[in-house]
Amino acid sequence: MISVHQLVPTISPRDAVGNHTLALRKVLRDLGFESEIFSMFRHPDLMTETHYVDRLPGDAAAVIYQMSIGSPIAERWARHPGKKIANYHNITPLSLIGKWDGLLAAEVQLGRDQMARYAAICDHAICDSDFNKAELDALGYQSTETLPVLFDISDANADKSTLTRLRRSRHGTQVLFVGRIAPNKGHHDLVAAVRTLRDLYQDDAHLHIVGTDGPPGYRRVVDTIVAHAGMRDHVTFHGSVTQEELVAHYQAADVFCCLSDHEGFCVPIIEAMHHGLPVVAYDCTAIGATVDGGGLLLREKSPLTVASALHRVNKDEHLTGRLKRAGRRRAIDFNRPGTEALFRDRLLPLIESA
Amino acid sequence: MTDSQSDARYFRSVVNEIEAEAQRRTASGEYPRALLRSLDEEFRRWIPDASLENGVEDTIRGIEAAAYLDVAVPVDSRNPLGRFVKWFVRRLTYFYHRHVAQQITALGIHVTRPLRLLNASLRSLDRRLCELEDRLDVGATTRSELLAGIATFPIATDFREPLSGHLLGAPGRVLLGDHVDADLLQFLRAGGVDVYGVTPSAGEHQIADVRHEGLIEHLGHLEDESLGGFVLCGLTDKASLNEQLRALRLLLLRSKPGSAVAVIVVHSETWSTRLGPVAADLFDGRPLHPETWNHLLLREHAVGVTAIESLDGTSTLITATLP
Repeated sequence: MISVHQLVPTISPRDAVGNHTLALRKVLRDLGFESEIFSMFRHPDLMTETHYVDRLPGDAAAVIYQMSIGSPIAERWARHPGKKIANYHNITPLSLIGKWDGLLAAEVQLGRDQMARYAAICDHAICDSDFNKAELDALGYQSTETLPVLFDISDANADKSTLTRLRRSRHGTQVLFVGRIAPNKGHHDLVAAVRTLRDLYQDDAHLHIVGTDGPPGYRRVVDTIVAHAGMRDHVTFHGSVTQEELVAHYQAADVFCCLSDHEGFCVPIIEAMHHGLPVVAYDCTAIGATVDGGGLLLREKSPLTVASALHRVNKDEHLTGRLKRAGRRRAIDFNRPGTEALFRDRLLPLIESA
Repeated sequence: MTDSQSDARYFRSVVNEIEAEAQRRTASGEYPRALLRSLDEEFRRWIPDASLENGVEDTIRGIEAAAYLDVAVPVDSRNPLGRFVKWFVRRLTYFYHRHVAQQITALGIHVTRPLRLLNASLRSLDRRLCELEDRLDVGATTRSELLAGIATFPIATDFREPLSGHLLGAPGRVLLGDHVDADLLQFLRAGGVDVYGVTPSAGEHQIADVRHEGLIEHLGHLEDESLGGFVLCGLTDKASLNEQLRALRLLLLRSKPGSAVAVIVVHSETWSTRLGPVAADLFDGRPLHPETWNHLLLREHAVGVTAIESLDGTSTLITATLP
């Protein structure tokens, strides 16, 4: 049996790259390949179904490296005799996180250096978005293509107690953002925008932030800004939540707002669209291509503009209806059977040529 | 027209209305200006000076956390027998692992002590460096604020032909940065030049084969002698003298022998007239004169250095070949 394995620096069941890696293993197995996942840091829940990196067999026909951060294990991929396929999910630029998290900065720097170095040895690169593809093309990667990230748009039932709690406490516009609390995600901009919405439109708006803490320094700054803006009672950090709780958040909110300065794709935007939540997003990096007509794309993110957009979406029923319909239509592009089929169609000839 | 096209058009018109409303409120002062300014200041106040601020401290905490070893090895297994065997081995070897773990923990504590001293020294060094930087370039913040409001000077269209002719046959990929003119990029590609762009500007990211990052940062990732040529522009109109010279030095290092190189520079007079006296004063007399670029390239023993002035007399293209 032909072996096609995956190498990933860290594997965890609750992050986009981890979910994609697990889904891709299923695609490869469905194609009849022997496929395993090798990683250096494995989440306890995945210990029995993944392997430590040193067990990667040398006779695999192809090895897919999930590239999203710098890691010494990338060198194993680079030296592997099989076909080398990179799956690029983007590496946050150093300029956006360097000052906030020294350790992450070192990993990001290593990742960017490795990415540039591997242009010469990578046989083929699969990218989540055209934005990511452009980065690799600019580095001189010879063979690149864009294929959507694999993820399950959950049809899980909303957690009832969470939904009840969220709906009971609602007054004005309920603004939701889902993503790690990191400087490139622009949480401080969200606080300023919702504060402006409250001031300018006399809207008792509330900001819900779902996601784990990133650099501790940034979280401290966001907390300071929340306090300084007098928003302690109007911003809730929900931390990491279960799939059912996440669905409850999507169902309870009025609008999903993303003001990130850098995204390689942004899965929560598609999840929000799937759950019929209107999307307002700042158009930068890969965001425009991800939204692709399924939401409102702002060319700038001054608090005033964002507040005006949030107010308009919440008050204009015709606009809200069209945003919901357009979002749902866009989310269909990422339904799992369809994206899996794309991967199957592309991977089979690619690996057979190895 | 499909539903998607119709919706997309409608959403664009809504965004235009939203932006118009925001502008109207800005013009009339109808928004919490003082509050937003104070939030922005608060954010800037807390941005760390450098990664050193957290990096070493985080590393030490990481070592301290990792030094406390958990001797309870996971016993999960695909089959129940495996789980039992693992559990049994763990019980059997517990005394041994605990002994080793205690020694490693002690080692971790000893390792982090000198690291903490080192961290204190680095912090002190970092503070002194910041003070020194402030003394050396007190206008940096003012300049960066001005820069945000200044549009990039367009590249004269009459430079396209001579540039294409000069870069054709370059011994490798040609870098265009840090202002990427989409039409120029297309023109060069159509002419057979293997060119890619590098720009920090968010507005230019949709062009294919363009990297969205600072030029100096990008050059930091490249291997020496990996480029077949470069076109330096944009940065020549707005960066500090030090940044311009640093970009040139890195470009020369990353270029192969025989590389085709070019610099596009706006004339100082045009620049001053366009931006006015405030920017001219605070930007400290930039950009450099074409003669200076000539001199810098000749100093690197470049051959065939040629200067071409644009038809409207506002800028100059300097081309050369590296030895």
